[in-house]
Amino acid sequence: VTCQERKELFELYALGVLEAGEREEIGVHLAGGCETCGVALANALALNSGVLSLAGQEPPPKRLKRRMMHAIGVHYPGWGWVWALGGVVALAVAVWLGVQERQRTTELAEARRVLLEVSGERDRLTAALQFLSDPQTVPASFGRGQTAPPRGHVFLHPQMGVLLIASHLPAAGAGKTYEMWVIPKGGTPRPAGLFQSEDMRALHILNGPLDLATVAAVAVTIEPEAGSATPTMPMIIAAPTGT
Amino acid sequence: MPIVKLLPLGLVCGILMAALRRSDDEDLARRLQTRNAKAMLDLYRRYSRPAYSLILHIVRDASLAEDLTQETFLRVWNQVQFFDARKGALGAWVLAVARNRAIHHVHSVEGRMQADASGFDSLDNPRYFSAIGADALSIDRARHLKSAFEQLTPQQRQVIEMAYYEGLSQTEMADRLKQPLGTVKTWMRGALQTLRRELAGVATA
Repeated sequence: VTCQERKELFELYALGVLEAGEREEIGVHLAGGCETCGVALANALALNSGVLSLAGQEPPPKRLKRRMMHAIGVHYPGWGWVWALGGVVALAVAVWLGVQERQRTTELAEARRVLLEVSGERDRLTAALQFLSDPQTVPASFGRGQTAPPRGHVFLHPQMGVLLIASHLPAAGAGKTYEMWVIPKGGTPRPAGLFQSEDMRALHILNGPLDLATVAAVAVTIEPEAGSATPTMPMIIAAPTGT
Repeated sequence: MPIVKLLPLGLVCGILMAALRRSDDEDLARRLQTRNAKAMLDLYRRYSRPAYSLILHIVRDASLAEDLTQETFLRVWNQVQFFDARKGALGAWVLAVARNRAIHHVHSVEGRMQADASGFDSLDNPRYFSAIGADALSIDRARHLKSAFEQLTPQQRQVIEMAYYEGLSQTEMADRLKQPLGTVKTWMRGALQTLRRELAGVATA
């Protein structure tokens, strides 16, 4: 085999794809220090690298650089701290927003509760006003001439029921409430609703039709919170209707 | 008349670019030999794209290509002491290592590794790359090679790809293509002659 013939094989030799016999022959020849073949091998390697470079310029994934540098013992702080800081800030903002949201929810619930209370109060006052302005309403007073309170008025209406307006009520005490009674002539007292006082004053309405001719009196007692089936003495208010 | 005016502008630029690349690669190789980590980063920035593309082209698996690219650069890092920084072509060596890592992997997976499994390791021995022009990967040469590829017949292109990207011997190509070995050798010889001829006119450093 001449150097000229070998020259045709150097690209394949450098690629490692020559048959074993040819590869060994060229290896032995190159080891002998043939200058011509050395130059031919260099040219073949240059051609090979040119062909291999035509495969493209696809960028590798970004993480590969970090992996590779890590493999030679270089550790980059990288941008991990930015992500960590971002995470902490995001968490703080989320907590702050959560607290704000919770506070807003609480405030909203409180506002709703107050609104309901005001709305209920308004309805009661409207109902009381209707009671007072209707010509069929029959008034009855109590406490007049008494040395001790409470004092106030009871209004009865054949369709709307009973309206109680009282002041200077004695404290009901813990676990107790006021209960109104409608006492029929010659009959047993009938429960007419539970209520609480505010600043010793109270306004209570029993809605519903009422036969005024059968009512002897309207009374108020202090009862357990759940109310009672029969009045517990003494009566703190007793207003005879006089009908 | 100055000599520069006598030479075509493209040739002058090619010589200058080659000189610059030689200087860059020489400096880079020297820094790598001092175990300079920043030099490794520079090497990666300069050659990771062609190396990764080449490996991906061979193994057709991005995750595997990533692993093999890392292996390639680590091999260069570990073998650079044997590289002749003054004369060698760093890029050509990196690509040879990349190609051989990938082919070695494909052959081991396919179970057709040669008895001499270290064969591919010896093919990218850095001392072989001491006498190559630093412009082996120049844009000018790449352009000429692309043009040469267009001149090849489909059969010639096929055998070139089988040799470069699949690591097949001519006997294996003949088996796969169901062609006589002589025919395959003729296609290969013709293809290589065309490529050599096209590169012969390109300026070298």
